[in-house]
Amino acid sequence: MTLIQVSNLKKSFGTNEVLKQISFSMDKNEVIAMIGPSGSGKSTLLRSLINLEQIDGGSIQIDNEYLVKDGIYVKADDIKRVTGKMGMVFQHFNLFPHLTVKQNLEMAPKLLNIQAAQEIENHAKDLLEKVGLTEKSGSYPSSLSGGQKQRVAIARALMLNPDILLFDEPTSALDPELTGEVLKVMKDLAEESMTMIVVTHEMGFAREVADRVVFMDGGEIVETNNPQEFFSNPQHDRTKLFLQKNLK
Amino acid sequence: MVEYWNKIVWPMLEGAQMTVLLFFIAIIVSIPLGFLLTLAVKSSFKPLSWLAHGYITIMRGTPLLLQLLLICFGLPMVPIIGEYLVFDRFVAACIGFILNYAAYFAEIFRGGLLAIDKGQYEAAQVLGLSKWQTTTRVILPQMFRVALPAVSNESITLIKDTALLYAVAVPELLHFAQTAVNRDFTIVPYFIAGIIYLIMTLILTLLFKRLERRYKFE
Repeated sequence: MTLIQVSNLKKSFGTNEVLKQISFSMDKNEVIAMIGPSGSGKSTLLRSLINLEQIDGGSIQIDNEYLVKDGIYVKADDIKRVTGKMGMVFQHFNLFPHLTVKQNLEMAPKLLNIQAAQEIENHAKDLLEKVGLTEKSGSYPSSLSGGQKQRVAIARALMLNPDILLFDEPTSALDPELTGEVLKVMKDLAEESMTMIVVTHEMGFAREVADRVVFMDGGEIVETNNPQEFFSNPQHDRTKLFLQKNLK
Repeated sequence: MVEYWNKIVWPMLEGAQMTVLLFFIAIIVSIPLGFLLTLAVKSSFKPLSWLAHGYITIMRGTPLLLQLLLICFGLPMVPIIGEYLVFDRFVAACIGFILNYAAYFAEIFRGGLLAIDKGQYEAAQVLGLSKWQTTTRVILPQMFRVALPAVSNESITLIKDTALLYAVAVPELLHFAQTAVNRDFTIVPYFIAGIIYLIMTLILTLLFKRLERRYKFE
């Protein structure tokens, strides 16, 4: 079952064309690792899916509903509903610093009134346990390590029960010794069949967890394959060059 | 000695009441007004934004004393409508302080808004918050927190600026001190006035320090 369908997506910043006619689709329960040199457009593509970037042309469909059709966005209400099927985890966590961990998790579902307050609180408790941060429930983000912050951010995104979770370089801002705890949570999610797109520089994660690797360079998808083939038998010169530099 | 003490300290404390009253009126009105000005400056409706910008530029760019003199003594001289612009001195002074301080608070809050990372807006958006919810639940609490030290600073300046009431002949703390100095040919009242100002600013400093600790988010 196709959950994301992107066709001929175009996006420029001024005269700089960052995404050139991108097309790809993704199935339910799939985990895609998006890799590529910086400036290749992978983050912009991810952000376009959840309407953090406005695209200039092409179509995006989420769960068979259009977000953009041939360059024309659907109505504001529909945008909200369609993007609401996705959750997003940012490189810099973007936790709300004035709220405790618990409040960070509960604010959106409470404001959106999606469940009874008691259910929301139970859900938050479960998710904090899942990411191993039960004891940090009353802490403010400033007192957490980077790895802990990112785990809270993942739990916060999960509070809204998204069908798809988007990760924008979730471990790039972390000290190397803290990436493991975040990748572990993501791996657990993958094992629970969460549909995920992960923009990452973690080749190990791409190799072990992803079902498919998408390699982008210069605003194009250069190559996409399953991890075994992708890493052992890259087809394109650009892919080979990138892997040579990044796999040591 | 005690008798003389009573003779000068009590009027000065009474004058200090005026200072405190002006302080509270000015701060209670100018902070919300300043915030509205911030919103006006940030407004996408350009004429409103320009107007607010112009207002802030003028109010911050000219001396408060000049503005006070204008409101107290200048406005009544305006042809035709002047006679309707005669205010009680204290009321006129309050208006002057409010209009002036609102401009400063507007700039402080604008600075607070600039300090908020764009990621906060993005996080709120992907969590499905409305614009209003984002503003009231995510942005404003952080803006006020960032602005707190500057607001504290500005409030202390306001206490000291109340001494400008002297120039428009509203009997406040400094007025009674000066009267005593002239009458008794002693500089002691200046020091007493200084101590009273100091006590007021110290109380304010402690109050804001407490607020800052309370909203430290740690």
